[in-house]
Amino acid sequence: MKSVMGVLWLMSLGVLIQTQAATGDESRGSLVRVRTSIQPYDQFRPWQKKSPFGLSGTGVVLPGGKVLVTASMVANRTEVGLEKPGSAEKCAAEVVAIDYEANLALLKPTEAEFLKGFAGVTIGTNLKAGDSAEVWQLERNGEMLRNQAEILSAGVGRYPSDEAGFLVYGVRVSLPKRDDSYTLPLMRNGQLSGMMMAYDRDSQEGTAIPVPMIEHFLKDSADGKYEGFPTLGVSWAPLRDPNLREEVKASGSGGILLTRVNPIGTAGRAGLQEGDVLLAVDGFKLDEDGNYRDSLYGPTSIGNLVRTRPYVGASAKFRISRNGKEMDLVGSYDRRARDEVAIPTLQFDVAPRYLILGGLVFQELTGTYLQEWGDKWSERAPQRLVQLFSFQQEMRLDPKKKVIFLSQVLPSSMTAGYQHLSGLVLTGCNGKTVGSLEELASIADATSSGDLVFELMDDPGKLVLDASEAKSGGEKLGKAYGIPALRKL
Amino acid sequence: MRRKVWKPGLGPASKEEGLVWGVFEVKYGWMMLWRKVLTFVLLGGVLGGCAKDGQLAEAKKNVVMVEVTSQTWDYRLPWNPGTVSSARGAGFVISGKRILTNAHVISGARYITVQREADPRKYPAKVQFVAHDCDLAMVEVEDSEFFKGTTALSLGNIPELESVVSVYGFPIGGDRLSVTRGVVSRIDYNAYTHSGRESHLAIQIDAAINPGNSGGPVMQADKVVGVAFQGFRGDVAQNVGYMIPTPVIRRFLKDVEDGKYDYYVDIAIRWMTLENAAMRKYLGRPNDGRGVVVTDIFSEGSADGILRRGDVLLSIDGHPIESDGSVRLQGQPVQLEEIVERKFAGDPVELEVWRDRKMEHVTLKLKPAEMFSMYEILYEPSPRYVLYGGLVFQPLTANLMGVLAGSADLRLRQTYSLFGQDQLYRETPEPVILSSVLPDPLNVYLRGMAGQVVREINGKRIRTLADVELALREEGERTVIRFEGDQRPAVFKKTEVDKATPRIMAQYGISEASRTEVNGRRLAQGSYFKGEKK
Repeated sequence: MKSVMGVLWLMSLGVLIQTQAATGDESRGSLVRVRTSIQPYDQFRPWQKKSPFGLSGTGVVLPGGKVLVTASMVANRTEVGLEKPGSAEKCAAEVVAIDYEANLALLKPTEAEFLKGFAGVTIGTNLKAGDSAEVWQLERNGEMLRNQAEILSAGVGRYPSDEAGFLVYGVRVSLPKRDDSYTLPLMRNGQLSGMMMAYDRDSQEGTAIPVPMIEHFLKDSADGKYEGFPTLGVSWAPLRDPNLREEVKASGSGGILLTRVNPIGTAGRAGLQEGDVLLAVDGFKLDEDGNYRDSLYGPTSIGNLVRTRPYVGASAKFRISRNGKEMDLVGSYDRRARDEVAIPTLQFDVAPRYLILGGLVFQELTGTYLQEWGDKWSERAPQRLVQLFSFQQEMRLDPKKKVIFLSQVLPSSMTAGYQHLSGLVLTGCNGKTVGSLEELASIADATSSGDLVFELMDDPGKLVLDASEAKSGGEKLGKAYGIPALRKL
Repeated sequence: MRRKVWKPGLGPASKEEGLVWGVFEVKYGWMMLWRKVLTFVLLGGVLGGCAKDGQLAEAKKNVVMVEVTSQTWDYRLPWNPGTVSSARGAGFVISGKRILTNAHVISGARYITVQREADPRKYPAKVQFVAHDCDLAMVEVEDSEFFKGTTALSLGNIPELESVVSVYGFPIGGDRLSVTRGVVSRIDYNAYTHSGRESHLAIQIDAAINPGNSGGPVMQADKVVGVAFQGFRGDVAQNVGYMIPTPVIRRFLKDVEDGKYDYYVDIAIRWMTLENAAMRKYLGRPNDGRGVVVTDIFSEGSADGILRRGDVLLSIDGHPIESDGSVRLQGQPVQLEEIVERKFAGDPVELEVWRDRKMEHVTLKLKPAEMFSMYEILYEPSPRYVLYGGLVFQPLTANLMGVLAGSADLRLRQTYSLFGQDQLYRETPEPVILSSVLPDPLNVYLRGMAGQVVREINGKRIRTLADVELALREEGERTVIRFEGDQRPAVFKKTEVDKATPRIMAQYGISEASRTEVNGRRLAQGSYFKGEKK
């Protein structure tokens, strides 16, 4: 977990001026300490986990006794606990809904009575730039610090585990260093206005997840079946350039150029195509830069219009111009462009899948694996893997097939001559194409004697193991290297 | 020692060495590299312990100081003549009044003088032959007065490990001839950093390296056993210097006998050692410790259509190939590449091949691996470009990557690094890049598009820079330039471009709207430029 995802704590002094102590009652009814133990999987050694660490934050108790925190707070958790602010009374909690893209999670204490007496906090109204608010923190004794905050901006911005962007508040606030601040609530008039998700102590600015995101998340999770935020599945470019407008026959004003449309996404299934000019969505006109006019925020990016406002399953109406002819297309919002991909982006809470055959370690390619190469993963990771991941849509990778690759070789006499190979994509085995670890496993399991011939996308193209040796030797090899299981499918 | 790339230095493959090489520290930083080669990469060596008294006297007569004023192209501003700088290196007189030095000493030279230890006069000189791929050059001096008193040094052989050698040159610290001494530490293949893509035999010696030694002779017992040429910077390693050994020098001298330099040749395949028992059994080979497996054949290369994937190479020109890829030459184990290294374009190589469980004999004719020349750092040829509406188009070269490195996006980096490996040259011999956008009212909506790979212009697929010029001449009211990936196209009205072009050229001091020909020759295939080739 990157440190910027949490609220950073490197405080300077002299910021307490704006801080006032609140009465204990308010905190006792609204906030609870959240302690989590985090242990991510080791993508390079997929059979083990990395060393654990703890996070502590402040959760918001909602009416009904559930607790809202940021998702980063509970990503790759091994344990989640709640603690009452005024006492050390503790209770384990479970995650009842989580959305890593929206960076929100909902917790429930395992003891139903634990939060009895907590009135909870209601969700407030949307804030806009210039509004004042407070960021609440808990003192050790359970008293509350209310830090004056100002909303600097409300617009579409980056979230830690999402590339496309959601509505986000820019917040100016001076936060003193306190425990339990990985997650903090943004409040106004005693109501919840947002969840702080990042803070930079140098500029004293941070970002917060705004009310519309929280409302969407809570409403979606209310029925126990969480569906997440929809996505259009398009790439687009602004259409300000008059020459470009002429080229794509965009008359009048407004509209953006769709430069790629995922055929299985919301837009693709509604019939939108690459080269179309998208003029309006659900009756909201788009300007040349892709903004619609929001009643509260003014010009706001299409991202908010199509991802935060609608719910999965809602109908979607598009007005487009194709070759100068305007038309309306109808579809329904979904997440398929995001979920049905050959190589998933970030994955949390799930063990990486792998299969070790005679010392050859095969893994399923994920964005999480690539990120394990560090900030410069796109330069440092094997370039073929980076290419398949980054350009999977334009390379038309079949979303139903996973990308399996040889991640490393455990040296032994079986793998002599192969031991330095890594980062090689597997295309087939014994003449059959391989689109998942299960397929590879079934080919290997069905081959009890003879050769196991692995076909690779790149040099050296082919590797051969003796099938029976791979089986008997594989077990021994696993023991020698202390690997608890030779496969996790 | 598992997997080898036959000499073509595929961009990223050489990065591993890059970690240790001081000159490689700046990725793609060829301009830096050029300077570092001059600055850091020169060997200091000294009189050998076994040197005779006469060696120093011989060196004094024949080692020359080479002073060069050179010009370096700026690929950011390809229309500019480049920056001028001066540097000093060394050279030495060999038979026939020829002077040998390093290619990197005289690269981009506009004015060269040579000076002998015994003569205060500086004589103008000019480059006769340059071989950037093995970092050697031959310089000639018209005034025969210069050679008065020189005796010409002769070439020796590969010195023994641990034997003492002396390095002569003019490194920093003074202006007169300097002598340092070291022992031969290692004899192995190594990257030749000047061209950025070549590896040849190099001899490592433990003498200190200092700027100004480049091109100077390394001597043992009155004979030249190498030319000092590169080394590590002090903060990377201590006392690791390299010299170009005499087999490489002799090859160069032989190559230029016909009046031109033809470059190294290459089989252009990849192979893998045959150490794995299961692989051996699969290929039907006994466990006799012999053979390597061909894993890839580069199309358009010497082995294209002759070797196949899965072939086991058992011998090369009669030399048995061990399973680790070595052969014996004069009793010494060397990489099998060495057999090819000593040959020339058009020379045959005979291979014993195990194919489909049968023995076959094949002969292939060697040629240079031109498909990898994109990775070769260019020195002499002027950068090529096309300017259109303030958009600057350039072919993708190592030099261009050098200046774009910081801003290069993923697609561009991948196009560069996978170009050889994926044999992209078959489809696009010379990818064309929108290298910069010179701001003008005409292109106000196109800023920030620099670094894109051009796919087509006016419906014509772009495979070389020459295609760009042709496609821009297509009839029509508008010019539409499309890029790889999901970028928006760039669209111009032709009349507006015609109006803006003189304005943009005046504004940015550009005298030619394009330069697609070099030395009067249009590069139709475009992916390479070899100055001396016919």
